[in-house]
Amino acid sequence: MKTVQHPLKFIASIAAFALCAALPLTGQADGTLRYATVGEPPSLDQQVLTSDLATTIAHHMFEGLYTFDAFYSPIPLLALGETVSEDGKTIVISLREGVKFHNGQEMTSADVLASLERWGEHGARGSLIFDHLDSVEATGEYEITLNFKEPFGPWKNILAYINGGASIHPASIMSGASKEPITPENYIGTGPYVFQAWEPNRYVELTRFDEYTSPQGDADGYGGRRVAEFDTLRFIPVPDVGTRVAGLRAGDYDYAENIPGDLFADLDADGGVKTVLNGGPIFGLVFANSSDGILQENFALRRAIQTAIDKTPALQVSIGPESLWRANGSFAPEGNVWYTQSGADNFSKGDPDAARTMAEEAGYDGEPIKFMVSTNYSFHYDSAIIFTKQLAQAGFNIDLQVYDWATLIEKRAQPDQWDLFFTHHGFVPDPILITVMNDNYPGWWSTPEKTALKDRFTASSDPAERQEIWAEIQALIYEQVPTMKTGDIYNYDIASPLLQGLGDKSLIWPSFWNVSN
Amino acid sequence: MLVYTAKRLLAFIPTVFAASVLVFLFVHLIPGDPAAVLLGDAATPEEVAALSSAMGFDKPLWVQYFRWLGNVLQGDFGTSIFFGEPVLSVIADGAETSILLATMTMIWIILIGVPIGVLSATRHGTWVDQITSSGAMLAASMPTFWLGLYLILIFSVGLGWFPSSGFPSLSDEGGIGNLRYLLLPSLTLAAPNAALIVRLVRASMLDVAREDHVRTARAKGLSPARVAIKHVFRNALIAVAAAFGFTFAALISEAVVTETVFSLPGIGRLVVQSILRRDYPVIQGVILVIVVLYMVINLLVDLAYARLDPRVSLK
Repeated sequence: MKTVQHPLKFIASIAAFALCAALPLTGQADGTLRYATVGEPPSLDQQVLTSDLATTIAHHMFEGLYTFDAFYSPIPLLALGETVSEDGKTIVISLREGVKFHNGQEMTSADVLASLERWGEHGARGSLIFDHLDSVEATGEYEITLNFKEPFGPWKNILAYINGGASIHPASIMSGASKEPITPENYIGTGPYVFQAWEPNRYVELTRFDEYTSPQGDADGYGGRRVAEFDTLRFIPVPDVGTRVAGLRAGDYDYAENIPGDLFADLDADGGVKTVLNGGPIFGLVFANSSDGILQENFALRRAIQTAIDKTPALQVSIGPESLWRANGSFAPEGNVWYTQSGADNFSKGDPDAARTMAEEAGYDGEPIKFMVSTNYSFHYDSAIIFTKQLAQAGFNIDLQVYDWATLIEKRAQPDQWDLFFTHHGFVPDPILITVMNDNYPGWWSTPEKTALKDRFTASSDPAERQEIWAEIQALIYEQVPTMKTGDIYNYDIASPLLQGLGDKSLIWPSFWNVSN
Repeated sequence: MLVYTAKRLLAFIPTVFAASVLVFLFVHLIPGDPAAVLLGDAATPEEVAALSSAMGFDKPLWVQYFRWLGNVLQGDFGTSIFFGEPVLSVIADGAETSILLATMTMIWIILIGVPIGVLSATRHGTWVDQITSSGAMLAASMPTFWLGLYLILIFSVGLGWFPSSGFPSLSDEGGIGNLRYLLLPSLTLAAPNAALIVRLVRASMLDVAREDHVRTARAKGLSPARVAIKHVFRNALIAVAAAFGFTFAALISEAVVTETVFSLPGIGRLVVQSILRRDYPVIQGVILVIVVLYMVINLLVDLAYARLDPRVSLK
């Protein structure tokens, strides 16, 4: 017995020492907001990346000429305003004077021109505008002129959308930048926070920019006055959701993103946690292959598939609480200017008998339909399982192919590899930004009917006319079925109740200027 | 022993070379393109192909391999596609966490597993043995993610004694005190491994206890404690030493679940995330480092054998 008493005493003393050492546990220094993210962004270059996580961090550092107010209308940010010529083809944008970059240099039209040119050539959404431009010119030290070939209605919405958008950087950085994302030492913008450090797997840290020149006016959405209340914003990758929730409750984080629906009721009722809904819903999309395979140009067969699917059970299973989803067929949420029910009566019929008849009439003979889905996003996979079962009940032979996301992205670029694939889309303030509108996005939908409507849609600058044309495009989507919307999903985050200025909803991405502890 | 060690070190070269070929091939043969992951969902195949080409991934595989190998031989493991930092620097960041976590875990394993194993063996067949054996089975059966989350709930959320997650470097503010971030993770990792060591020490000691030299020692009139420690435990350590070596290596490279639950920036999480993102240079670098680590630990275990067992000679 002697031989074991000593080790046990030793263990007990070590444990006691460890506990004592842990007792004077200190939190983070005052003035640091600790944000638990689901992972790490691939880069923070906003021009070439469309990662929402990257934007959540980067829009504190980088700014564009315009941004969105609380109603998703574009308003000036680095711009002061603009004049539009009578024919709608020439837009002269005046810039705010005295705006400083993080390197101390003042922003002029040369920087804006270089930024727009790099974005136009290499940016994720640059071609949306540059395909319609004759030229961009610096027509004064604080003035930029866009010369369009034809009137182009969505220009301001596109410039205001910072995700994959036209963030403004010094010309010295932009002139050497290519398709590859700019590296951290070149993360220089005009925003209220400055890039400080990126410790792989540990955190991305931004610090307050003391020389920040804020736009004037009351805060309104992402616009108006921006005050950096926190000294430091620290974005910490915490991939496990249980740890994000426990960490926030333990006071190790002030904000934690992307919490699953099944925890919503408990967290919403918990006084020690504040739930923050995302005002702009994401939505699932099942794309059909318009370039190859059994569904190519067979719109009748696609409509049969669409008719077989009932979206509500998939939303119930994959998301959970009804407050977090809407079985909404409109590509914009209710209350948004782009909301329309045009064509949406075909959104979620869930009629297997009608679908079976329609499929027979479309010449379907039981050939396998390759449906690709990724397990990286649980709601993709859960929904796809429900859809596959519903389609089987209607007589479709679905070959469900499950991949990790990186593999799916590679395979979907090969038209002969698939018939349907599942993805999702973030909220966008202008339908021209929805991927199905891009002829080159996998699915490759570019029928003459679409082209004609899209040309009218982009040529018009009249908001009412654009809304009408969008209603026609949405009806065409339900008729030709290049993609099937699966419903709106309102993600939510959780925050410390001590945070002031957050509001109950975020606009698109959470923002932490005008937020304090 | 020096000659033996030198020979073994030389034998590392072909092994590392073979590993480098296999790792490179496997990594590049799995579908997926880092350019596509980098650019995100909205990117078109043309945009992905353009970036992939700019990064050199459209070159023939053998060209990419020899370019990479040439750089590795000069000590350059390349640059992480996602972090934009040298791969060795990214690995070094992860290695700090992993080595400290593995070391703390090993300390718990030795402090908990060995004494309980000895106790269980010396009280073989009694209620003490039954309780320790059942406890070891329970600890070995507990999923680490479950145990980790419960430790967080009790000690971080409930009592507020320890941080729930993360690990600032020892060179950051807090210094050596940052080790408190690793206390709960190391206990989580130690539980199943200590349980295995309990079982191993117990079984080895019972095996040795049946041998002739132990009977002789008892017949000489030595005290039970002296027999247990000097004659049984020391001989039982030979089998345990190998388990310690490989447990340590596994703790560094395979602690991914614990690293995920506690959000630790370790090697295990780094390699899994790099695979998901197809960050080829990091995957290749980490796996090569792990291969070398296993070989070094294997060598150290063999050297330890010779030290523990005079019958073993190294040639």
